[in-house]
Amino acid sequence: MCGTCGCSDTENAVTITDPETGETQIVRPGSILDETQSAAPHDHHAHDGDHDHHHHEGDDKPHVHGPGGEIISLETAVLQKNDQIALQNRGWFEGRGVLALNLVSSPGAGKTTLLEATISAINDELDIAVIEGDQMTANDANRIREAGAKALQINTGAGCHLEADMISSAVKTLNPAAGSILFIENVGNLVCPAMFDLGEHMKVAIISTTEGEDKPLKYPHMFRASDLVIVNKMDLAPHVDFDEEACLANIKAVNPDAKVLLLSAKSNQGMDQWLAFLKSEVNAPRVRAVR
Amino acid sequence: MHELGLTKNIVAIVTEHAKGRQVKRICLSVGPQACVESRALEFCFGIVAEGTVVENATLEIVSAEGDTFLIKEFETEEAA
Repeated sequence: MCGTCGCSDTENAVTITDPETGETQIVRPGSILDETQSAAPHDHHAHDGDHDHHHHEGDDKPHVHGPGGEIISLETAVLQKNDQIALQNRGWFEGRGVLALNLVSSPGAGKTTLLEATISAINDELDIAVIEGDQMTANDANRIREAGAKALQINTGAGCHLEADMISSAVKTLNPAAGSILFIENVGNLVCPAMFDLGEHMKVAIISTTEGEDKPLKYPHMFRASDLVIVNKMDLAPHVDFDEEACLANIKAVNPDAKVLLLSAKSNQGMDQWLAFLKSEVNAPRVRAVR
Repeated sequence: MHELGLTKNIVAIVTEHAKGRQVKRICLSVGPQACVESRALEFCFGIVAEGTVVENATLEIVSAEGDTFLIKEFETEEAA
């Protein structure tokens, strides 16, 4: 699937790196055209010569015979494979009582800083594991490890988002404990991650006061897909003419049901509400309707 | 942005169901909230389809509701 966005360089392989051991495994090779083009056409037409009624071997899709060929009705979701793996992930998380949160934002909104602050605040009370997604480098996973939590780095190469199979591979190595919180820090991007279900309990969108109040209007898909919106860097709000009222109105305009928390991971302002939210969520029963 | 990956999925799914037959038309239904740019899909399709059974297929995109993103149907060339 979309592990890559334009070239077939081997540098664009999707990898998982364990910052503790430094071991790197390749989850997907870098070539963009391998999967589809290796699916060579094969001869399957087993027409029975004795009668006119014919059947297609293993063909279970409704189809109509036209004057030329056949029209085959699929009604298949393009992201079917991703969605199936996401469902498996969700079952795995629910079975273990792991609260999986998919953190999405533009680059630099403060996802990693928020996680560092969260880990240092509640690591004694709650078990935390983090999957970091970036195109390159294991910098973020190293930061999380230094903050005191288990972390694994996924490098997507040219890929613009994480997909469910990458999470499936990563949790096998990371092995988050029952009753823990698993933060999945997605690739910094307010567009593509909205589309890909990873099996998380919910998406948490993070915007920062330095980005401007109109981000929710500019990138509505992401804010619509998120159940919680965190406005970070509130300590900088007075210095960047941040209009809090407009920001809240914009979030509400695209997603009236989203919960909103205003905080600063750096100054600690408002962090208590976020920590309280995590503690209540991790203890709440989580069986969620599939969207 | 990720239309190339999506196009790879489309080509892979249709190729699988076509079972070796040449495909002449693929019909997709795409909703306004699907985060999919139709023109980008068409551009990518030309690249990804090359050398597969969907190489000569036309891509038809019909609008749908919400975040729908489905391969509705496809049509094969004359059966053997």
